[in-house]
Amino acid sequence: MTDVATFTPQRSTVPSAGKLEIIIGSAIIVTWLAMALGAQWIAPYDPNTISLMDILKGPSLAHPFGTDHLGRDVLSRVIFGARIDIWMGFIGVLAPLVIGVTIGLVSGYFGGFIDTFMMRLVDVTVAFPFFILVIAIVGVLGPGLSNYFIALALVAWVAYARLIRAEVLVLKRAEFIDAARALGYSHRAILLRHILPNSLGPIVIYAWTDAVLVILAGASLGFLGLGAQPPTAEWGVMISDGQPYVIQAWWICFFPGLAAVTLGLGLILVSDGMSRRMRIVQ
Amino acid sequence: MNDLLTVENLNVDFLSGLMRVEAVRNVSFTVAPSEILGIVGESGSGKSVSCRAVLGLLPGHARVNGRIIYDGKDLGAMSANELSLTRGRDISMIFQNPSSHLDPLMTIGDHVAEPLHYHFGLDKKNARIKALELLDVVKIQNPEQRYTAYPHELSGGMKQRVLIASALACQPRMLLADEPTTALDVTVQASILELLKSLNRDHGLSMIFVSHDLGVIAEICDRVVVMRGGEIVEQGSVNQVVGNPQHEYTRLLIGSQPGRLDSYNQPSHEGHALLEIEQLSVRFNDKGGLGTLLGGRSRAVNALDNININIRSGETFGIVGESGSGKSTIARAVVRLIEATSGAIVFQGKLVGDLKGLDLVEYRRQVQMIFQNPYDSLNPRASVRQTIAEPIWRHGLATQQDANERAIELMAMVELSENLANRRPRQLSGGQCQRVAIARALALSPRLLIADEVTSALDVTIQAQVLKLLARLKDSQDLTIIYISHDLAVVRKFCDRVAVLRHGKLIETGLTDKVFDQPANDYTRTLIDAAPELDSALLNAAAL
Repeated sequence: MTDVATFTPQRSTVPSAGKLEIIIGSAIIVTWLAMALGAQWIAPYDPNTISLMDILKGPSLAHPFGTDHLGRDVLSRVIFGARIDIWMGFIGVLAPLVIGVTIGLVSGYFGGFIDTFMMRLVDVTVAFPFFILVIAIVGVLGPGLSNYFIALALVAWVAYARLIRAEVLVLKRAEFIDAARALGYSHRAILLRHILPNSLGPIVIYAWTDAVLVILAGASLGFLGLGAQPPTAEWGVMISDGQPYVIQAWWICFFPGLAAVTLGLGLILVSDGMSRRMRIVQ
Repeated sequence: MNDLLTVENLNVDFLSGLMRVEAVRNVSFTVAPSEILGIVGESGSGKSVSCRAVLGLLPGHARVNGRIIYDGKDLGAMSANELSLTRGRDISMIFQNPSSHLDPLMTIGDHVAEPLHYHFGLDKKNARIKALELLDVVKIQNPEQRYTAYPHELSGGMKQRVLIASALACQPRMLLADEPTTALDVTVQASILELLKSLNRDHGLSMIFVSHDLGVIAEICDRVVVMRGGEIVEQGSVNQVVGNPQHEYTRLLIGSQPGRLDSYNQPSHEGHALLEIEQLSVRFNDKGGLGTLLGGRSRAVNALDNININIRSGETFGIVGESGSGKSTIARAVVRLIEATSGAIVFQGKLVGDLKGLDLVEYRRQVQMIFQNPYDSLNPRASVRQTIAEPIWRHGLATQQDANERAIELMAMVELSENLANRRPRQLSGGQCQRVAIARALALSPRLLIADEVTSALDVTIQAQVLKLLARLKDSQDLTIIYISHDLAVVRKFCDRVAVLRHGKLIETGLTDKVFDQPANDYTRTLIDAAPELDSALLNAAAL
């Protein structure tokens, strides 16, 4: 056992890199999550109660974010809106991620015809602008959140499939994959136990950035009237509602916009911090 | 005596997080004019760091203390600018991997002409004339033609020659060589060593030659410094240090040289045939690709050409050859990681190429393989216990829980302490990783174990331990071993019979002692002569 004596654990050279970003980012995300989950207790008013007495009131003690053209409390609507938008970010990332990872794994590992077919499909999808394609699909299926998710699943998986395929192509030439094959493991065991866990790193980082895109795209669709439908409190819908009054009542658009920006910032910070940490480990 | 280079009390530490890690402690040595000083040690001994510190070539987070005097000038006190004028002009350096130290977009000639232009201000025409002379000095054939070649067009040995030529361009008096032959085949290594020796003899070039290989050091150096854990444990003339080592570690290092190991070779083995390789050929087709589309011809490479080998039950069979000889291809064909183009592999009467489904799984249980790089061959995210247990439960030999217990027994068998069970490969040393790989291979109680360069990435002392372990396991587990290596000295000690491969062809096969003592083929003889051997190097030195 002479090796044990000479062993020194390997640590990353700069242990704190990316840590600050992750802490600030997660703090922002956790705050929004808490607001979304506890909306009915935190929000001072019901988000959908119309009060004709309070139309277009500016920020005050009673209504810190003011009220909109129907007298609804903007603060309460922003807080309830977090539910829809975070849910949108979550499902809008998860569905394409699962589809993309599955296709990328199979495609990269087995190669051949499946690979060629899938990658040409990816090329075709990528050839269309992302937004146009999503809007076109939602336009065909009809407006609404669930159709937005379907459109996303059909369009956004390509990025995940490409990322994971690239990882798999490198990994499948690794010696430990040869070792696993020589040990007589099945393809399924090799894919799930040996390749998948080692290829997820870039995917996880990308997913955080993608969540920002999905939330903003969802809000944009809400703004265009294709996403969540009024009177649902959703940030994009709120901005769309407030648009005609933006000169006299800036707060109707400003606060939902600010909400979307802070949540996006939180997600980006986490993604950034994680990729910096990962670079060090490698 | 007037020394050319004096290093006194050299200390180097690296900033690692908030901690400082000492890499080199109190190292002092001198190099006389036209002397070759060897620095030998294992990985992490600080030999390369000491060598690089001389030229200030350490990364930014290194802190260097101590006096480095070259020809009366204090290199440590020089500004970065002065130091860069010294590099290449007074002291040059060559490195381990010539491919990564040559700029792929620069021609061979430009590599050699550049220092002449930079240090002496020679114009293009004169630099070219001088560079051609230098390419001739390092024995590159047809320098005129090679001048415009790019690095990828040259072999590894040729690239190292180019690197040497550009290091010598400004006629430095001293050359630092950091493992210059480690990445090269033995026959190429022998020619590079010959070249360095002749440069020392004819041009009075002083050298610091850093290597992990005591045999190489003994062959080329006058004096040697033995390092371990950042400190010098012993220094003196090669004959004195190797012939009469004072320090315990030096004795361990010398005792671990393959030539000095116990012999495990048992030539009189009579077993029935376990594995028969008949007329095996493997061709790699360079299929598809842009080149083919654009009308280029698709190239086929004969990795193996008509190989016939019989392996008997219970023996250790060695396969030796240089890089590109196809020795690993045999291993990969036997475990069906690649398919044979033609020919047959027969294991216990069954044709391996026809096995399918469960038969193939059962075959893979009986034939196990260990790979060269211990870190690459383990899943980086699986713990030691998981890695060793996985084959057992995947093959349905035990439940996951029982497999985990069995893994601990296997760890004991390969002499790994139980408290390493939850470590990941990254947290283990190379030797420990290789033990894990051995334990995993033995988990399925195989009949045949294929060891592909398993000790090449390990230090010699660890190599000695792993070989001992394999020899012990072979007897206790009733194994048959195919041992693939480029290291002839190891094969000689370890294998009962041996096959010599070259360019995918079987050159010679027979009992190890017979092949080594009376090689029937010229290539085998060249290979054996080229391998640096501690004892023969000392004999030669004594004869001079």
